[in-house]
Amino acid sequence: MSTTAAESSFMFDGYVRPDGRVGIRNHLALVSTVALANRVAELAAARFDAERGPGSDPVLRVSGEFQRGLQTPDAMLQDQIIEQLITHPNIGAAVVLCHDRRAAQSWTRRLSQFGRPIEVLAVMESKGVGHAIDRTVQALKAQALMLGDALRTPCPLSSLSIALECGGSDASSAVCANPAIGRFVDRAVGAGATVIVSETAEFIGGEDVVRAQSIDPDIAHAIIDRIAQVESRMSGDGDHYRGVNPTAENIEAGLTTLTEKTMGAVCKIGTSRFAGCLAFGERPDRPGLHFMDTPFFSPCSITGMLAAGAQLTLFAMGVFNPSGNPLAPTLKICGNPDTLAHWADGIDVGLAELIDGRIGLDQAGDRIAEAVRAVACGATTHTERWGEGQFIIPRMLPSF
Amino acid sequence: MPRIALTVHPADNVVTLLDFDETDMHTHDGLLLRGRIPFGHKAASRPIAHGDPIIKYGVAIGVATRTIAAGEHVHVHNCR
Repeated sequence: MSTTAAESSFMFDGYVRPDGRVGIRNHLALVSTVALANRVAELAAARFDAERGPGSDPVLRVSGEFQRGLQTPDAMLQDQIIEQLITHPNIGAAVVLCHDRRAAQSWTRRLSQFGRPIEVLAVMESKGVGHAIDRTVQALKAQALMLGDALRTPCPLSSLSIALECGGSDASSAVCANPAIGRFVDRAVGAGATVIVSETAEFIGGEDVVRAQSIDPDIAHAIIDRIAQVESRMSGDGDHYRGVNPTAENIEAGLTTLTEKTMGAVCKIGTSRFAGCLAFGERPDRPGLHFMDTPFFSPCSITGMLAAGAQLTLFAMGVFNPSGNPLAPTLKICGNPDTLAHWADGIDVGLAELIDGRIGLDQAGDRIAEAVRAVACGATTHTERWGEGQFIIPRMLPSF
Repeated sequence: MPRIALTVHPADNVVTLLDFDETDMHTHDGLLLRGRIPFGHKAASRPIAHGDPIIKYGVAIGVATRTIAAGEHVHVHNCR
């Protein structure tokens, strides 16, 4: 390939935020900071959406099992991730619903530094459940007026931060969807974009690739250390990953070695080199390819990569997998002809021609680039249409 | 119908078969297969000496445990 950085780059229309980051969506978000506030948030969002009527984008609800009584490392991580989600560039304005007044005061202080349109409310400052819902709807109406100030303007590919993910993996995803994503990743990294790959357990057996594809030995060492920790925790739980993989089923499907199995997923980084090793949700401090240490459950790993600022996710599939996240579009990419025939209403980029031999991986990568540009400009993905996805923050310690 | 065999990386010495017609011994890009190779399995795209790395995704995924001819099935019987 002899394409230059300029040729392989592209422009899209995004929302430039006060901190310089770029949103590809302009969501009005309703964030509950603790699960106690989730039901009031749900009812307020439903009423607000019904009053706005069809044709308007629904309120983005950010609500999880956010809880109290966590030990300090978990409490800090939870608050950090909630803050990063509220201030995500895909959000144009937000209402933050806390349970009590003290939490609301604390969140008001914490969020004031960002200069974003955010209103913080406490359920307990209301006079009854109905009143709490009324106040939340009023706050949503006020914040909705702030959204109109944001306009899409031309932005370079380098302003994108892209999360990589896979699920429903099979023989097709290992040689079609994942390597096609790898071709696009090389192009995106070459153009100065940020790319994050996660799911530490998937890298067991890929240590040599990490060594060969890191910008310096310290980064390779940091990543390999994270992989070793996960392997050790699995082994402590009775799961000797390296000893039993590839499994008899994998071998029957054509996988010969653990490295081959691992590469089926890891090849989505292309030939790019790691520029950083991140903790769950940690923001990269430079562009390029980054590894993030996350659990392998994709709704959880996607939450971590979006908290770190990713505006969209590229998701390789073999068989269908409904993972996604409502905050950032998830592009489902698939080359399995059976899945393409039966799950077309959940696939954004079909690569059947790759299996037929009618296109090569480079053209498949170009097709992904076209889809990324369209989605970054506002085209709706299937996960957005179905409203799929959830926010899951991992927990390390027992709660009180 | 010639078989569909995908080379993931230019440095690879194996291709992955991506169709289910095990009767045709030719791939669409001219490799003569030696035997029936199932969907998702690999064939050597050039001769591989005993002890040489098996390259897929541009990385060594294993080592040839004996000499492998071009077009031969590459799996646990000749790669470790």
